[in-house]
Amino acid sequence: MRSKDKIAFAYLYDHYSGALFGVVSRIIRKEEVAEEVLQDVFLKIWDKIESYDAEKGRLFTWMLNLARNQAIDRGRSKEISKEGKTSGIDNLVNRIDKREFAEQGVDSIGVRDILKGLPEEQKFVMENLYFKGYSQSELAEEFNIPLGTVKTRTRLALKQLRSIVKAF
Amino acid sequence: MNTQDYISSGILEAYALGELSALERAEVEKNLAQYPELKEELLLIEETQEKFLQKGAIQPKASVKEQLFKKIRQSKPDGKIVSMPAGNSQISFWKYAAAASVAIALVTSYLAYNYYGKWRSTENNLNELVAQNQQMARDYNTVNQRLDKIETDIKVIDNPAFSRVVMKGTNNAPEAMAYVYWNESSKEVYLSIQNMKTLAQENQYQLWAIVDGKPVDAGVFDGNMTGLLKMKDLGGAAAFAVTVEPRGGKPAPSLETMQVIGNVIKG
Repeated sequence: MRSKDKIAFAYLYDHYSGALFGVVSRIIRKEEVAEEVLQDVFLKIWDKIESYDAEKGRLFTWMLNLARNQAIDRGRSKEISKEGKTSGIDNLVNRIDKREFAEQGVDSIGVRDILKGLPEEQKFVMENLYFKGYSQSELAEEFNIPLGTVKTRTRLALKQLRSIVKAF
Repeated sequence: MNTQDYISSGILEAYALGELSALERAEVEKNLAQYPELKEELLLIEETQEKFLQKGAIQPKASVKEQLFKKIRQSKPDGKIVSMPAGNSQISFWKYAAAASVAIALVTSYLAYNYYGKWRSTENNLNELVAQNQQMARDYNTVNQRLDKIETDIKVIDNPAFSRVVMKGTNNAPEAMAYVYWNESSKEVYLSIQNMKTLAQENQYQLWAIVDGKPVDAGVFDGNMTGLLKMKDLGGAAAFAVTVEPRGGKPAPSLETMQVIGNVIKG
């Protein structure tokens, strides 16, 4: 690795790892696994940066999509679901961990405050899409909302956030 | 395509979230290339998404970064070099990182320039219209004033209380001709001229009335005047005549410069 390259990559990491970990660690509640996923995401970024096409969108969008997909894939893997089913004291600890994690996660001050001003149904869509690993079509199916409605709510929420994020 | 409807459907948000199938993505990308307003909208969506998630950032432990860089150092020698020429990846990483910011800057400045151009041309059009409007108002005023003048002139000519005195050219100006419209009871005098030369800047024509055998000043005028010109009020005139005098006129006529003369014919 040339030093120039390392600096660029370190810059990307310093600049974006927080935002991406915010997404990954809310989807994957187990901290070690979330950290592993984040590393995998950055390894992918490192390997695939050549395939990023600036014409098609912002660099962050590209990285976010990698992170989200990676986290969702991992969240569905057997390893996690097996862990979820483990019984006894392990399970209890795991659950407490999860709850604590959740408190600094989805419910952390920043996100909660930002989404506060949105109507309930838009808040619901945003939290599930960005922090719970749902895709739009899964949301539509699982909560019996037409896909078009999910899309419109996503749009309305992001539109409202335009002015809200400026204020924070 | 109605881009507003397209935007309202939320498809650009779905695109930014990576929710679309390859086929749908291709379709969106085609539209993005075709409609700048879609690209502008997508940029706003992506910016908002990024800012929102930056607010919700959770910093990973420092050890995560250390492990990651160790993994990269280890993976480098084998995997990567085979798949692509060395050096290429190093440069292209910067290239793409730079391309990202350059592309955003380009899009933004293009849009700014585009709107500036549109604004400028709109402003030019508006100025042109305002100027045209002013010109039309001026023309209208001129025409209106001329019409008013003609109307009052006709009232004088039509009025039987006015008698017309024809003044014919003397040897000094055989072609010249002038009329006086004189209302003996109200003493109003109007003048109209034909074929009278334009004089030098320092000279003016002066109208005289012969009252009791003596010339009385009835006012001065220029050779280029049109229509009826109101002169000084006079009573008891037997004849009218015009001489050339210094600008502003004189108390007594220079008879040798007489241009036209005519007697009042009592009906």
